[in-house]
Amino acid sequence: MIDFHPQVKQLLDGELTLADLPPELRAEGEEALRLLAAVDREPVTFPALEARVLAELRRRQGRASSLWRRLVAPREVRLRVRPWTLVPALAMAAALVVLLSRPEPTPPTATVTVRFVLFAPEAQQVALAGTFNQWDQAATPLVRTGTPGVWAATLTLPAGQHEYAFVVDGARWVADPGAPAVDDGFGRRNSVLSL
Amino acid sequence: MKTLCVSLLLAICSTASSAQDVTARLAGRVSPEVAALVQQLATSAAARGLPVDPLIQKAIEGSAKGVPADRVAIALRAVSGQLDAAAAALQQAGAAPDTDAIAAGAFALNAGLSDQDVTTLAQVSRPSSSVAATLRVASTLAAMGVPAAQTVALVTQVIEAGGSTAEVLALPADVMAGVSRGHGRGRDVTPAEAAAGLSRAAAARANAPGQTKPKPGKP
Repeated sequence: MIDFHPQVKQLLDGELTLADLPPELRAEGEEALRLLAAVDREPVTFPALEARVLAELRRRQGRASSLWRRLVAPREVRLRVRPWTLVPALAMAAALVVLLSRPEPTPPTATVTVRFVLFAPEAQQVALAGTFNQWDQAATPLVRTGTPGVWAATLTLPAGQHEYAFVVDGARWVADPGAPAVDDGFGRRNSVLSL
Repeated sequence: MKTLCVSLLLAICSTASSAQDVTARLAGRVSPEVAALVQQLATSAAARGLPVDPLIQKAIEGSAKGVPADRVAIALRAVSGQLDAAAAALQQAGAAPDTDAIAAGAFALNAGLSDQDVTTLAQVSRPSSSVAATLRVASTLAAMGVPAAQTVALVTQVIEAGGSTAEVLALPADVMAGVSRGHGRGRDVTPAEAAAGLSRAAAARANAPGQTKPKPGKP
């Protein structure tokens, strides 16, 4: 590669003329201009390559774009409506709107207050255990009422079916004599409360 | 494929979650032996669309009552069998049973009703009332001592005579009131006799002029 003087480079860039160069650089400038003039300025083309690239692009885009064009191409649609046929459709739409806009009724979580009573004159303590307190005999103790031997507890329970029993003195499981009862599967009876 | 994977993942998560729930509810309440059996039965029941709460409750009840583990295991298997039988009886009625109805059906079987009784009661339940509620009423009547056949007949008559849901739900209290009235008059009235009186009243109401019988619907 030829390394020209900076001023000669300016000459090649058209910033200076040959006359602007100092006398000692004029020969180098003339040589540089001569070399530049010899360069082939015809644009380089590769016609076969270009054709191949364009063909490949057309092939790739062809299928998808034609389908898309078919889909998005505007079409003229003619619609004839008999007015009476709209009535059922409008009625259905109105019903749908009413149905969808109606708020879903939330079922109330019904609770019932129940008083449990047991006559156990000999008992020192009485508790209530059942499905509503995970059969925990420490959860619901009964208290003595004003009447001798009568124990009672008042609970608020969710509506539904509950099984329970009284626990006398922490050891004896007793079904409620005033309530229906079913087999507990262990040889005893559970009282049933339906609310 | 994606949907299948998501469904599978949700099912696995749901099973794992319910298994954790069972473990948490039993923790510190039952022996490890009973807990393992409940876990096994509950997983199997949940996979068949059955409720698991009755199993958990029975295990806790057994342990609270100081029942030996082998007796608790027998009771648990009995509950599991009742849940299966109740689900089958409800399917026989053409119902798409929910877990609440299955639990109520299992309880009705324990109270003395038969599979066929559960099917019949599910069939007579109107769409407006819950199958579970009808079964609870029937099982309460049976637990009071009303014979199963009479229980089914009474509930059916009241529903078919156009009785409201509240009237159906009030049947156990009505039977109890009938027993109490008998005591008040100085004679013993059994729950069966009180139920028979209510049946006669329902039949008279159904045959009253102008009474239109509602068609029982499938739940």
